Amino acid sequence: MTVNNVWVITDDQKAVGELCGGGRQLGDQVSVVLFGDQNEAQEAIASGADQVYLFGQPGNSVMIEAYSKSIAELLRAEKADLVMVYSSVRGKLMAGRIASGLATSALSNVSELTVEDGSIIAKHMVYGGAAIRTEKALSDTVVVTVGTGVFEEMPKDVTRQGKVTEVNPGVDNTGIRVLETRPKQGEAVNLSAAKRVVGVGRGFAAKEDLKMAEEFAALIGAELGCSRPIAEGEKWMSKERYIGVSGVFLKTDIYISLGISGQIQHMVGVNQAKTLVAINKDKNAPVFKQADIGLVGDIYNVLPQIVAKMKAQN
Amino acid sequence: EGEGEKMRVISCCKAVPEEQDIVVAKDRQISFEKAEWKFGQYDLNAVEAGKQIVEATGGQLSGLCAGGKILDNSKLKKDILSRGLDNLYLVMDETMEQADTYQSARVLEAAIKKMGEFDLVLCGAGSSDLYAQQVGNQLGELLGIPVVNAVNKITPQGDKVIVERALENAIEVLEITLPAVLSVTSEINVPRIAGMKDIIAANKKPVTKLSLSEIEVADSQPASMVFSTLAPEQMERRLNILEGESDDVVDVFVKLLSAELK
Ligand SMILES: Cc1cc2nc3c(=O)[nH]c(=O)nc-3n(C[C@H](O)[C@H](O)[C@H](O)COP(=O)(O)OP(=O)(O)OC[C@H]3O[C@@H](n4cnc5c(N)ncnc54)[C@H](O)[C@@H]3O)c2cc1C
Ligand SMILES: Nc1ncnc2c1ncn2[C@@H]1O[C@H](COP(=O)(O)O)[C@@H](O)[C@H]1O
Repeated sequence: MTVNNVWVITDDQKAVGELCGGGRQLGDQVSVVLFGDQNEAQEAIASGADQVYLFGQPGNSVMIEAYSKSIAELLRAEKADLVMVYSSVRGKLMAGRIASGLATSALSNVSELTVEDGSIIAKHMVYGGAAIRTEKALSDTVVVTVGTGVFEEMPKDVTRQGKVTEVNPGVDNTGIRVLETRPKQGEAVNLSAAKRVVGVGRGFAAKEDLKMAEEFAALIGAELGCSRPIAEGEKWMSKERYIGVSGVFLKTDIYISLGISGQIQHMVGVNQAKTLVAINKDKNAPVFKQADIGLVGDIYNVLPQIVAKMKAQN
Repeated sequence: EGEGEKMRVISCCKAVPEEQDIVVAKDRQISFEKAEWKFGQYDLNAVEAGKQIVEATGGQLSGLCAGGKILDNSKLKKDILSRGLDNLYLVMDETMEQADTYQSARVLEAAIKKMGEFDLVLCGAGSSDLYAQQVGNQLGELLGIPVVNAVNKITPQGDKVIVERALENAIEVLEITLPAVLSVTSEINVPRIAGMKDIIAANKKPVTKLSLSEIEVADSQPASMVFSTLAPEQMERRLNILEGESDDVVDVFVKLLSAELK
């Protein structure tokens, strides 16, 4: 089943393929809002878009989010049934502003979208991943935010035809001026593709102690990941490496956690692993309730022993 | 208007049940009957950010929470007041426990309008139950004032603030005219831990309770109808937990681990 008009809004071209794929699955007509150039518009069409609205760059000191009101008006005029906004930082801000403009809420980070009897059914995690909520959207225009990994990209078809409309509406940006944009180095790592992952948590007392974990991970051919506080609070590792409900979901064969307590928000990111191994000095740590193999011990004492023994085996 | 402007800041916090206390039944239904309530972990960053601003500029920090009757729990109130608020506003109505992001934003908007003049509304990175990361964005649009998410740093500057915003691949520096709504990241600060003095002082701070009719918010239809809220399917785990740091124990552990890595 499908709805009539699905809209895709993304500020990041890398999401275009998957969101257009999702759009084709859910709607008869797929319209895409982009902030890039003609090439990017053509890529969207090849990926399944019927029409592309190309919003120009609004000028140096203006954010693209300033288009939110114009986009909301466009969506209303074009009778959008479903609006899928890519869940980047900018996407989220636009989604919320657009949703308020349309007097509805933004269903966030949906993990599944289907159409049943003409209604949109959305699934998303709640309570830090302790539960999955299934709900039927009731508003005329349904606004959702979606990340990557939810929909499949279609093979690109460069012969597909579509319409590109360039728009340069007024911006409503009173009160916000962009003074500077400083590029920041992201890390190109894809933990969700790794077969083996070692995760480190606050059981590590200092950044240099992570060397122990790095050595162990290298020894068994695993990628290194972490809990959210290691990436955010301590900033010892990049955000691309934190695992859990608000970070990466693993599809590993084996996940070995070191000094991680095992709170629900972290565990939902690892509980699809075939084997879960945990080392923690507190035998009551929740991580042991979901472990296949556990070792109650201080990582500073046991990890060097483990590394030595595994080296001796090889 | 100059550098010495006193700031009136409102930090929004949502009370949520402790996830670790959720009980999952055989049919995967979840129950909160045994759950303690607390304020969302990331809302505390909004309170701390507000506190740091009023410490720097002078002014006043108010807390604003919309929720069910649980908000009247004295331990909860004291907990949030002891973290640096000057006063606290509670909008209590049982329907708030099921509110979606638009309904919550509507209620907060109406409450803020009743609270009088303000310069800055701060929200957390996301509520601990829904983690929609949307109430701040929706609220700013409803109030019709500048709104920004993912704010990593706030520097007051007269009738403006300079903020740093953490995008995926860039830091954006913005000049924002007040009043404004900002949602802060969980990295912006480390919330202080209340001391004995703060806890005692919390008892004397004014708490204003508001009902939905007092803030004159018109009913809004929910954006969705919930079919189910179920715990995810759990894989059976072997629970082979070894205890101790002796050579023998570690040896057994390494054998078990090596077998998995074959
Ligand atoms: C909305 C929301 C979303 C969240 N999303 C995520 C997410 O996606 N991912 C995530 O990870 N977290 C997330 N969190 C945070 C989560 O709730 C936990 O706070 C976090 O996972 C805890 O990290 P930790 O286990 O490293 O630290 P802690 O909970 O502090 O645990 C440290 C553990 O190390 C053990 N330990 C200490 N010293 C040693 C030692 N020497 N040897 C062995 N063990 C030791 C301790 O016994 C303890 O169990 C989220 C929270 C919220 C509210
Ligand atoms: N009921 C509420 N009362 C007060 N503040 C709230 C409420 N709901 C959400 N917020 C604020 O909005 C932020 C984002 O919430 P959410 O969109 O649910 O993730 C939270 O971190 C709080 O700061």
